This record gives sequence, structure tokens and C-alpha cells, in this order.
Amino acid sequence: MSRALRTHSPGPGLTFRSMRRNSLIWACAGVLVSAASLALAHGNATGVVKERMELMESMGDAMEILADMFKGEVPYDAESVRSAALEIHRRAGEKITRLFPENSLDRPSEALPEIWKNWEQFESLAAQATNYSDALAKAAGNPGGPGDASQSSEYGMGQGGMMEGGQSMIMGQSRGSMMGGGQGMMMGGRRGVGPDPEHLAQMPPQAAFMHLADTCNECHTQFRVEE
Amino acid sequence: MRGIAAIALLILVVAAAGAVIQRWPLDPDTSISADLEGNPDRGAYLARMSGCIGCHTTTEDGAAALAGGPPLETPFGTFYAPNITPDERHGIGLWTLVDFDRALRHGASPDGEPYYPAFPYAFYAKLNDQDVADLWAALWTVPPVAEPSSAHRLSWPFNQRAGIKLWRALYFEADPFVPDPSESDLWNRGRFIVTGPAHCGACHTPRNLFGARDHEQHFLGAHDLPGGHNSPSIRSSDLQSAGWTDRDIAFALRTGLTPDGDTLGGSMGEVIRDSTSWLSDSDLEAIASYLLHDNTGPVE
Repeated sequence: MSRALRTHSPGPGLTFRSMRRNSLIWACAGVLVSAASLALAHGNATGVVKERMELMESMGDAMEILADMFKGEVPYDAESVRSAALEIHRRAGEKITRLFPENSLDRPSEALPEIWKNWEQFESLAAQATNYSDALAKAAGNPGGPGDASQSSEYGMGQGGMMEGGQSMIMGQSRGSMMGGGQGMMMGGRRGVGPDPEHLAQMPPQAAFMHLADTCNECHTQFRVEE
Repeated sequence: MRGIAAIALLILVVAAAGAVIQRWPLDPDTSISADLEGNPDRGAYLARMSGCIGCHTTTEDGAAALAGGPPLETPFGTFYAPNITPDERHGIGLWTLVDFDRALRHGASPDGEPYYPAFPYAFYAKLNDQDVADLWAALWTVPPVAEPSSAHRLSWPFNQRAGIKLWRALYFEADPFVPDPSESDLWNRGRFIVTGPAHCGACHTPRNLFGARDHEQHFLGAHDLPGGHNSPSIRSSDLQSAGWTDRDIAFALRTGLTPDGDTLGGSMGEVIRDSTSWLSDSDLEAIASYLLHDNTGPVE
């Protein structure tokens, strides 16, 4: 587009160009705003509280990638699953627990004092996150996964058969079917020790993912302040 | 002098009313046929959906199913869900199906005492006869546990069990579930689950001073839940504007994960762990369908 044209007659080309610039500005502003709100949420945190909030944030980011894939929002990709699982793996276990020195509850910490009343349980859940993320990394490419067209009915859409192909991949995984089924489990008491990670590593990846999600949920049920 | 007489009269009237309420028989009309055969597999599934296992089982790893629950701290005092294993002395081993139905859908014990509404029998009233028989069959599949239930620890006047009869007269109606023919089967199934066995409104609908749900504020979320918990609004409009989709809701109820990779945790974490994560795909879809699409109508 010539300079003359631009000066004298703001044609459609110019409009388009300025729109593009505007959207770039908006995108930048968006990034800034979300960065600012993140900083606001964790902004006052210092020391271990800040460190662990950032650690949890990174694990949440990896979990979001996994969730999108197992939910069927994006096509399943074993390599992405493996790398996201490893992102969690290298932040779990002792990397979590060392950031929870006794009674470190300074605002804006969301930790509950129950952590130190029940330290063994906290440690064991943190270790479970290590084991299950490792199992998921190993299981990512196993047959029967969301990307596998020949998936078995046990780990397929199962149950009601309401979900058409391409729908949520973790669905069909209600505990009844996943854990052997029957009233034994359904009417069971509290779960004791979870399944063996070595076993999970051999199974379709949904199983390890489900146990990893359970572990996150269980720890946040017992040890995190409710919003 | 007239003042004293008036006060004395008032005391007499209150005492007489108290005595009447005390003796006021609680004899709900149960429709169930005593020899209705139940399916224990279906009942076990319903027990998960209804939260029986979550509330009647303590939180320790490996705790025996249904042998009595953890403390439920409320503004009225502390409730303990009792032992409902088939133990004859401490559980429900001597009950009949009709006794069970009176308890479950009508909130009355075999000897005619009313149950506190901490036991969500108003929701279970939406179950049909077969559901009740199935649950009854499932209860008999767990091992009996010979341990007494913990007594509730309530403050006056809430420790006066007869007072629940007044509460019932004001607030309790054992309404069966009636599907809305203008909606899909999926939506109706979701509405049955949410407003019936899964008793979502027990926590997501605020309660008045007397612990009755405020239907005007149906699903708007509540404070002061047992254990000091809060619950968010689950009105369709609020869920929609927060960006939840059908798939997100079903996935969250299965895994506890929110769309941004966080977990719900808190008291909802327990509900997911003990109840919703056990449900079938189609039921989770049904719940999502009802929750996201116009659940604001009045609850009968």
C-alpha cells in the first residue's frame, strides 16, 4: 500500500492493518492483566509459601494439559502426556514436603494446620503423586489409551454408552469398572493403600491419570483451605 | 396479678403443647410392599450416589463401611451418622424393609421417633419403591460391625427430639419425583439425581434459622455448612457465566479436576471421592445437563 493512499484515503488495507495492531495491543494487555492477577494472588507470598505456591501452580499447568487430553478437548498425544507427567514427577514428593516446614502458615498460604497433625499422610500423598506421575509417563503410549482406536470396552466409553467417540476419554472409568467392579468395591469402606504404580504403568494411561487426579484431589480435600 | 396469671397460663399452654407434641404419633404412610425383591448391585450404586457411604463411614484408611460416620459439626451441634451395618444390636439387623423405608423416605425410626434433617430424607423421598428395596438389599452385603453409634451432641433446644415434629410439620413433605415431560430423558434423569439421591441442595441451597432449605435461594450456595465449609452457587446461569461446559462438569465430578488443572478439593473433594466419581458416564452427563440448563425452577 502506497504512502499517498495511506495519507489521503484510509482504505480497507489500512483499517485491516490497524485492527491487527489493535488486536496485538489487546493480546499484550491480556497477558499483562493475567500476569498481574497471578502476581496479585501470590504477590504477597514470600519465602517457602511463595515457593510452594509457584510449585503448585506449575503442577496445575501440567495437570491442565493432561486434563484437556483425557477429557477429549484436544487430541491425545502420548509424547505431550509423557512430558506433562514428568513435569509433575519432578516437582512432587520430597519437592513438595520440603516446602512445608512446621506451621508455615503465613498469608496468603492456603495450607491447613492439619498437615503437621497428620504429616505421615501428607508425606504419603506427596509420594503417591511422584509414583503415579511416573506411572503415567510410562503408560502414556500404552494400548487402550484415548488415542487407541481399538480400545477395550473396559476402558472405553463403557457404562451408559452415552458418550460418542471423541468424547471425554477418562469417562467410562467410574471406579466400579476401573477397580474390578461389583458391590464389593461399591459398598467398600475407605480405600487403603492405592494400587501398585508398576501395575498402573502397564495399564492404559487413563488408570494412572485417574489415580494421579485422585491424589491431588485427596490432598486438597484434607490439607487445603476451602475457597 | 393479671400479669402473673397470664404468664402462668402461658407456661401451662407451652407445657401442654410440649406434651402433645411429645405424644404426637409419627406414623408415616409407607407404600412399599414388604416382600419387594431388591437388586444389591443396583443398590450399591445408589448407595454411592446417595452419599450413604461417605456419611456413614469414618475417614480413616480401611475404616469399615457404614459402621458410623465422622462428626458433622453444624450450628445446632454435632451429628454422627449411625452404624447402619446389619449388626442386630448396634446396626439395622433387626429392621424390616418397611422400617427402612420409613427411615429413608419419611425420616421416622422404627419406634416412631423423628430423625434430624441432617439425615437428608427429604431428598431420599424422591426414590421409588424399587430404589428403596435395592438399597436395602445392598446394605445386607456389608459385614455387620458390633460397635455402637455415637450419640449426637446438640445444644438446647435442638436436643429435644420432639421439636423435629414441629419442624417436619412446617418444612417436610415426602414428595415423589415427577419428571417434566417437556424436557429430555437425560435432563430429567439429572434432575432426579441432583434433587433426589445426590442431595446437592443439602449444601448448595442456603438454610434458614431452623435449618430448613430456603427454596427462594435454591442452589445459590451457602455458608456455615458442617465443618465451617462454604459452597458456591450451582445455578445454571452462574455455572454458565463461569465458563463450565457439560463436559467440564462431568469430568470434574469424575476426577475432581477443574478446567484450569486445579482440583475442587475441600468438602466437594469428599463428595467426589465417596460418591460422584463412582457414577456412570451417562449419569454424570445427566447431572451436567440438568445443572447447566435451567435448574432454577422451583423445587417441589
